[in-house]
Amino acid sequence: MGWIFSIFLLFLSHVTSADDSGFFSAPDLSHFSYQSPWSDPEWPVELIPVRGETYTRNSQARFCTRPTEMIDTVVIHHSETPPTTTPIEINSYHLARGTVEDPWYMIAYSYVINSPYARTKIPDPLVTEGRPLSIVGAHAGTNAFVPMDAEQLQMWKENKVLCGKENEEFKIDPTLIRDGLIKANVTTLGIVVNGNYAPFSQDNPSGYSKRNPRYPTKGTQDMVARLSCQLQKKYPRIKNIKWHNYYHSTTCPGTIKNYIEQIKIIAKEYGCTFY
Amino acid sequence: MHILLTLLLSFTATLASASDEKAIKELLINYDKVMTEHKTELVDEVFTKKFLSESGGKEEFIDKIKELPKEKKKSKIKRILESWKKSKIGNMLVAKVKKGVSTKSSSNFVIIEEDGKLKIDGTISDDE
Repeated sequence: MGWIFSIFLLFLSHVTSADDSGFFSAPDLSHFSYQSPWSDPEWPVELIPVRGETYTRNSQARFCTRPTEMIDTVVIHHSETPPTTTPIEINSYHLARGTVEDPWYMIAYSYVINSPYARTKIPDPLVTEGRPLSIVGAHAGTNAFVPMDAEQLQMWKENKVLCGKENEEFKIDPTLIRDGLIKANVTTLGIVVNGNYAPFSQDNPSGYSKRNPRYPTKGTQDMVARLSCQLQKKYPRIKNIKWHNYYHSTTCPGTIKNYIEQIKIIAKEYGCTFY
Repeated sequence: MHILLTLLLSFTATLASASDEKAIKELLINYDKVMTEHKTELVDEVFTKKFLSESGGKEEFIDKIKELPKEKKKSKIKRILESWKKSKIGNMLVAKVKKGVSTKSSSNFVIIEEDGKLKIDGTISDDE
């Protein structure tokens, strides 16, 4: 009888620990302090106000840090959620993503844009900070790899990209490199426009009807352009604007993709050149 | 006493987890019926009131379903539950779902309990 009880105990402890690793414990704010670029007194120009936010993070999740100089590309996404979704809600969705063994640390994107659809007035236009730029994002696709330029390669060789969990030693992760290419998440930052800009389908029940297609308004395009330009002024190595399905097969960012060139034109009016 | 209480809680959590997974799979079967066979009478069983409201209302949502090609026979390709996790924020689940084994793209459903049943409350983009 005793040995049956022991096996039962062993089984339960295994199941419990597997389940718990997927959850974050009590609200546990990261010990990673970072300076918001928007509070920098040397900030050259404010093209668009950006709101800060405090997020719950999963202290059991692994993540990677990087020098902000690694970033050379902005990647545009749509959230697939309603445009009124708050960054805190996106964060809670992302904390519930990943697998039990490999949970997500926090909101995947570095910036969240709230902007109304055409012919509507809610939500109020708003830009909010997401994942700090010094933490590698989780948005471009796990299997997307891109070339590095000489400076990025140097930073990699100097072990400036490190991975680990909070309160643990951070180490080099060789899986970030494949055939001389680096994971796209390391050299990019994600901007998400809240809303669903892809058509309704069996896989996308919150998409738009074909009779009533949805496009980013001029206001939304302007917000993306201003934010991207503002980032380039702060981090001059950021030279490219791409979109999610440039990196891997997905419907994201829907029709916003058709407006990337227009967004670059608008950014030029603010004094920024993007490729 | 403390050990017994922990054991009881763990056992209850395990049972609840298995029950949630079963309920998600049943929800996906009904989702397929709505989206591929146009069994729109199940819309209220599958989607939350909030989701339908945000989709322009139930009637508009059903109109969108009717624009999709209808499969007359029961489809052999089923939606597969790849992974799911329960959040401690807002009592919500996020399920990653694929249609068939050969499909690369997946959907991520936000699922909550409404009227005693699990229902789809929204979707989120396929980022990683």
